[in-house]
Amino acid sequence: MPITSHPSDRRRVVITGAGCLSCLADSSAGLHAALCAGRSGLKPIELFPTESIGCHQAGEIRPFDAQSYLPDRNLRPIDRTSRLLLVAAGQALVGSGWTAEAVVEREVGLVLGTTFCSVRTIAEFDRRALQLGPSHASPLDFANSVINAAAGQTAIWYGLRGLNSTISAGAASGLAAFGYAVDQIRGGRAAALLAGGVEELCFESFFGHYQAGRLCGSRGGKEADDGELPIPFDARRNGFALAEGAALVTLEDAAAAAERGAPVLGEVLGHGSGFDPLGTEESAVGAVARAVRLALEDAGLGAGDVDALSAGANGSVDGDPWEAKGVAAALGARAADLPVTAIKSMLGEALGASGALQVVALLGTFGDGVLPGIPGLERTDEGFPLPGARPAAQRVEVRRALATALSADGHAWAVVLGAAGQS
Amino acid sequence: MKSRVAVTGLGLVTPIGAGREAAWEGLLAGRCGFAPVESFDTRAFSVHLGAEVRGFDPAPWVRRQDPAALGRASLLAIAAARQALEDAGLAPEAVAPERAGVAMGTTSGEPREVERFDDRYLAGELDRVGPEFIGLYPCHMIAAHVARELGFAGVNTMIPTACAAGNYAIAHAVDVLRAGRADVMLAGGADAFSRITYTGFARLGAIAPERCQPFDRHRKGMIPGEGAAVLVLEPLDRARARGARIYAELAGYGLSCDAHHMTAAHPEGNGAARAMERALADAGAAPGEVSYISAHGTGTPTNDRLETLAVKRVFGAAARRTPMSSIKSMIGHTMGAASAIEAAVCALAVALDRIPPTMNLEEPEEDLDFVPNAARDHRVLLAMNNAYAFGGNNASVILRKHEA
Repeated sequence: MPITSHPSDRRRVVITGAGCLSCLADSSAGLHAALCAGRSGLKPIELFPTESIGCHQAGEIRPFDAQSYLPDRNLRPIDRTSRLLLVAAGQALVGSGWTAEAVVEREVGLVLGTTFCSVRTIAEFDRRALQLGPSHASPLDFANSVINAAAGQTAIWYGLRGLNSTISAGAASGLAAFGYAVDQIRGGRAAALLAGGVEELCFESFFGHYQAGRLCGSRGGKEADDGELPIPFDARRNGFALAEGAALVTLEDAAAAAERGAPVLGEVLGHGSGFDPLGTEESAVGAVARAVRLALEDAGLGAGDVDALSAGANGSVDGDPWEAKGVAAALGARAADLPVTAIKSMLGEALGASGALQVVALLGTFGDGVLPGIPGLERTDEGFPLPGARPAAQRVEVRRALATALSADGHAWAVVLGAAGQS
Repeated sequence: MKSRVAVTGLGLVTPIGAGREAAWEGLLAGRCGFAPVESFDTRAFSVHLGAEVRGFDPAPWVRRQDPAALGRASLLAIAAARQALEDAGLAPEAVAPERAGVAMGTTSGEPREVERFDDRYLAGELDRVGPEFIGLYPCHMIAAHVARELGFAGVNTMIPTACAAGNYAIAHAVDVLRAGRADVMLAGGADAFSRITYTGFARLGAIAPERCQPFDRHRKGMIPGEGAAVLVLEPLDRARARGARIYAELAGYGLSCDAHHMTAAHPEGNGAARAMERALADAGAAPGEVSYISAHGTGTPTNDRLETLAVKRVFGAAARRTPMSSIKSMIGHTMGAASAIEAAVCALAVALDRIPPTMNLEEPEEDLDFVPNAARDHRVLLAMNNAYAFGGNNASVILRKHEA
């Protein structure tokens, strides 16, 4: 394969800070603790009425008082998606020791994964214009209606003048943003980038996913009468629980990070992707397997070097086994005893934020050697190829971990992370 | 040594014609594609013109999927992608699927899907929303639909960085190829004419009532449009090895963010200037070597003033002798497709040594060479394509003449 820059002679990319906001916790340490304790962040929705919908739970962030995190600034022009992202970005920048002045001077940038940015803002802008006439449409809402709005608002808030990109690939968006950002740093186009994802929970997305039969308990589920069972890899799974969240890490050129004495939480060793153009099991499994193989190759590692997997599985009837089979195909014999977690069992499917939440959670595992379990996992499908998926948290020494995601529309991504000082 | 990237195929769907030849000839002839909007009722607006793609028939292009089951931006994108592949002399089957990727940019994705959702919401008919809303609306479906149509199983990236998105997608494809992650990339942008977009720009007072006049002292705004463009990008050595026609080399790009205001550019053009400087550095070129600037040139009072300012800052004395035109004077602002269409035009300018004009230019506000009202024969060794977007996202891309 013509990978032009070999792992040994290219820039290394380290993680120097992390920030996140999820339905479980409002910090990366809190997220890891809650996941390891097996706590679920899924709850009855209060953000919007669900009487007309046959599905009522989601990973809602509640309470969320944005002003308490972001005091002394005017939040009025900022919508929920951007507010979530601003909180995560602030944590990541502070954690990596960047001062406000240095962020501006060094031209820190941002690569953001998101599916919708805010489809609520977009739809409310449209409906207001339809009801009251176009002259009553809100210019502020229009500014927030572009899909790169959250990235733009965050750049303005923190003075991020470096490259600023938004990447959309459904539930694979967060990992795709990592891959994009890593290549930018390796290519010398940025010394430091925030990378991750965001998604807000709103009626438009929730109702749309319900009508599409993708949510647990929505029509088309395997055993819909059982209620809402968003349990990844469990044979009874019947769809996912929608969620919201924001997660960002600070990625830096390792040499530049060392020079400024930055803390190192981990390293991004490699990434790879594939796409399933056919929507069949064979094609999807192949895309996931390719993503994993390419990520390992990019990292200069073999299957035996991987100590744990954070899967993107969310309870989808087809997606979960396709992802598992793809990972197993790429890892061969290693798949039989690889410790596996699927944190969407507790966090729900936060779409654009999901991959970044997986990465932030793995940083916690690097720290204390505890890999979260998959609460509720009782029995897997026959022949399930990842027997290291367990209901309870596992104690594992993890030096290198794999994060994977397969979107409902065929985007497969894999990222290989290393613990600090392990490569 | 960075590996070099060749542009070997072009596909365009524009308000003044579909296909490379029709669009190019239209631009050289100064044809304008503005007409009263047909997509929706504009009676409640004080402006009525748009640059819609009229009479577009997806059937010849969308062969493996049901055109009726896809969003309009996806249809436009697929048409451009198939044209580009044919133009490059590449059959989809001739490319290893896992080494063939797609990178597309957009402003709104498939806005008509959310508009239909809103119509049903307000009519109390939400029960009529089916699986198609979530199946079609997310913007990443544009790149996904292109890949499904062609069976491409490699890198698949959607970059929704608004009105600079086409340039972002092209820049990303360059990185993918330079890193050896694909053998061929289809890169471009697509947007469908949108009630939401039109409403927003009308509310901002940014839509011109009669015509689009970039860089004219009396310019009154932009005219929203729709369209798509796709470029076939390949490593130069592969393109040479298969004897492909090479329009140009994709020599470099630069990205930046204003970090200043969501909808207004930095008052001194800082972000735009940084993007141009980074692109020049990436291409290893000096400002004086640039023979043509394809301007963002929306025709709004602010954009054109600040863009001119930024060009003068970067180019210094060379600014006045470097031709700079805006094809938005003819095809309007096609949003996420705009910079992809303009990049395709740059590739043609580099290949054919002709520059399309800035139309409707009567009283230039600045003393630059805006190529007023008539196409020009001009040797184009290096073309710079500028694009600026909401969110302060700036992207400049540079194309260089390929000497065989």
